[in-house]
Amino acid sequence: MMEFPEFLEIPLADLIDGIIAWILTNLGGVLDAIGDGLLGGLVAMERLLLWLPWFVIVGVVGFVAWRALRRWWSGPLMGGFLVFIGMLGYWDLAMMTLALIIAAVLISLAIGLPTGILMARNDRFASVLKPLLDAMQTMPSFVYLIPALMFFGLGKVPAVFATIIYAVPPVIRLTNVGIRGVPQSVVEAAKAFGATSRQVLVEVQLPLAFPSIMVGINQTTMMALAMVVIASMIGARGLGMEVLLAINRIEVGRGFEAGLSIVLLAIMIDRITHAFAAQQQYTKSP
Amino acid sequence: MAHSGNGNNSLDADREVCVEVRKLWKVFGHEPDRVLDDPELRVATKEEVLTRAGCIIALRDVSFSVHKGEFFVLMGLSGSGKSTLIRCIIRLAEPTAGSVFINGNDICALDEEGLSEVRRHTTGMVFQHFGLLPHRSVLDNVAYGLKIRGVSQEERYEKARACIEKVGLRGWEGYLPSSLSGGMQQRVGIARALAGDPEILLLDEPFSGLDPLIRRQMQDELLELQVEIQKTILFVTHDLHEALKVGDRIAIMRDGEIIQTGTPEDVVINPSDSYVRQFVQDASPTKVLTARTVMEQPPVLLYSWQGPKAALQTIRDANIDSAFVVTRKARILGQVTVEGLVALIRKRGTFLKDALDPDILTCHADSILDDLVPLVASTRYPVAVIDEDNRFLGEVYVSTIIANMIQEQGPGEDVETSEEVQDNPAVLEGPEDTEENEKTPGDGPSEGAEQA
Repeated sequence: MMEFPEFLEIPLADLIDGIIAWILTNLGGVLDAIGDGLLGGLVAMERLLLWLPWFVIVGVVGFVAWRALRRWWSGPLMGGFLVFIGMLGYWDLAMMTLALIIAAVLISLAIGLPTGILMARNDRFASVLKPLLDAMQTMPSFVYLIPALMFFGLGKVPAVFATIIYAVPPVIRLTNVGIRGVPQSVVEAAKAFGATSRQVLVEVQLPLAFPSIMVGINQTTMMALAMVVIASMIGARGLGMEVLLAINRIEVGRGFEAGLSIVLLAIMIDRITHAFAAQQQYTKSP
Repeated sequence: MAHSGNGNNSLDADREVCVEVRKLWKVFGHEPDRVLDDPELRVATKEEVLTRAGCIIALRDVSFSVHKGEFFVLMGLSGSGKSTLIRCIIRLAEPTAGSVFINGNDICALDEEGLSEVRRHTTGMVFQHFGLLPHRSVLDNVAYGLKIRGVSQEERYEKARACIEKVGLRGWEGYLPSSLSGGMQQRVGIARALAGDPEILLLDEPFSGLDPLIRRQMQDELLELQVEIQKTILFVTHDLHEALKVGDRIAIMRDGEIIQTGTPEDVVINPSDSYVRQFVQDASPTKVLTARTVMEQPPVLLYSWQGPKAALQTIRDANIDSAFVVTRKARILGQVTVEGLVALIRKRGTFLKDALDPDILTCHADSILDDLVPLVASTRYPVAVIDEDNRFLGEVYVSTIIANMIQEQGPGEDVETSEEVQDNPAVLEGPEDTEENEKTPGDGPSEGAEQA
């Protein structure tokens, strides 16, 4: 009597399994095509990063960091982080991780920016999407690994797929918030001078929402980094895999080295993208 | 100069209609048609409509027309619908029913593209909160309307520079709006509206966000600009003083309806109902009354052919010490004073014109009393009121102006008024002068009548 009645239980798990099975049998070709496309891009990105001499990459990162942070020491510091990772012996693995992150972030933005814009311009779409985004962010990230694994097998592709699902919500959300936060008076003024809704979007809303969108990109990048580490569990090579191996073999020193490399990579990416977001303030004279 | 627009009211009827609003309704809510289709709700109070239909009536059956080149003011308290009304004219707010015509074109029938065309070429708007693009320079902001039209960069920058110069912001082209003060930002807003050389300017409380001193200065500048550009202007404000100062005609709004339309003078002197009366009771009459309204006929008017002795006699009989001299066709020549006449008679002069002082103070019949204050403060003689052809119409006494100024310092003691007095200390300093002049004309108004 006191226990929850059995007849009320819903076989949701079976239902989901059924859907996944149906997708696998009927859309297998499509999934393969997507997987091959993704893999091609990923491998190209990885090869490029590994082909480039290490000092070129350090130089580029240092220059970008100096431009973004506008401090003389920021370039050497961020470049130094990379050199330090290399000194720990993780250069190649770090480049593989970076390739995964860049691919996942680029695809996330390609999906997230238009979705965010659409969300800002359509209240009904926004009200449907909001709970979905909440769910996507609250769901334990490991759960995404399972369907990714089933759709694309082991390796890089499912890792990127799971990473995108996990990392795309912030950029959608903050694009939406940014556009909605543009002062109504400015939008109205643009309309009063005969701007079409496309002109309003491109010349008023997007530029004014830019700081918010940059924060979204920053968050998406950081979440992608976090997920890429977890995604090593389904066979994505990189720094995450080192951590995983260290756990399996209980090698504290190795785990710490790999973990530290991830932290340095994270600081580097975060500071640079964050600085780009903060740069846009409309209070300076020329 | 600032008030020159006020004189053209009588011509309005003959002028071309530029903007016409006909039976315009704007109802906010889910079922606006329920209100429009129900003859009872159409006339019900706002509260009643809200409880019975869940709708808010922002505009109720509003009709008015604005003539070409007219400075038309929509005035009302917040919530009276004035801002909604000006937005409905270019459909920034969509009217629920009724029509708007600009130069005979039905704006409500236009599709998106046609509407954009009108907004790009025919109208220019200025907003209370400026609505400037914070990420663009002053120059780019002013050129924005032209950019939307697809004008080349070179051409639009050239026009924008000219407009920036016109509003006195030369040298600020490269700055971002945030580095400018409120008043300067609004100048950018005005320049932006002018850059496209639109026929109609829509100004939605442009000066409400500015502090009083800047506000007054901007009003003066706008009036000066209007003399130069001669646009049709629709101006929204909640400030009666502002409305009276800038408007050729004023429409007073309450609860989404226009309850009175008229010249500033009309509105102050003949309020249509108690609401308007309450509204205008604080208004200083000196700001709207014209010389024509307050001028009096002089007790004595002399003609150029009269002899000095007869003239002196008439003036003394009237117990005054000066009189104006006119030609047969009433053109003013100047004035003679008792001292001047006495001196002339002693010298055995025989022509009145030898004692004539042509250097007198005159004012146009449409001059506002406020503008006369500095004039009358400098003399102890009355000021002659004349028309365009230099014909004498009447005279204005210092005392009349003072009386009107005192009247405005009613129990309300409004800030604007006390400031006004401080601005003109000369008026306060000359009470003796005033009394003298006040008595002289009043004592013998009829004696000299046969002379006139």
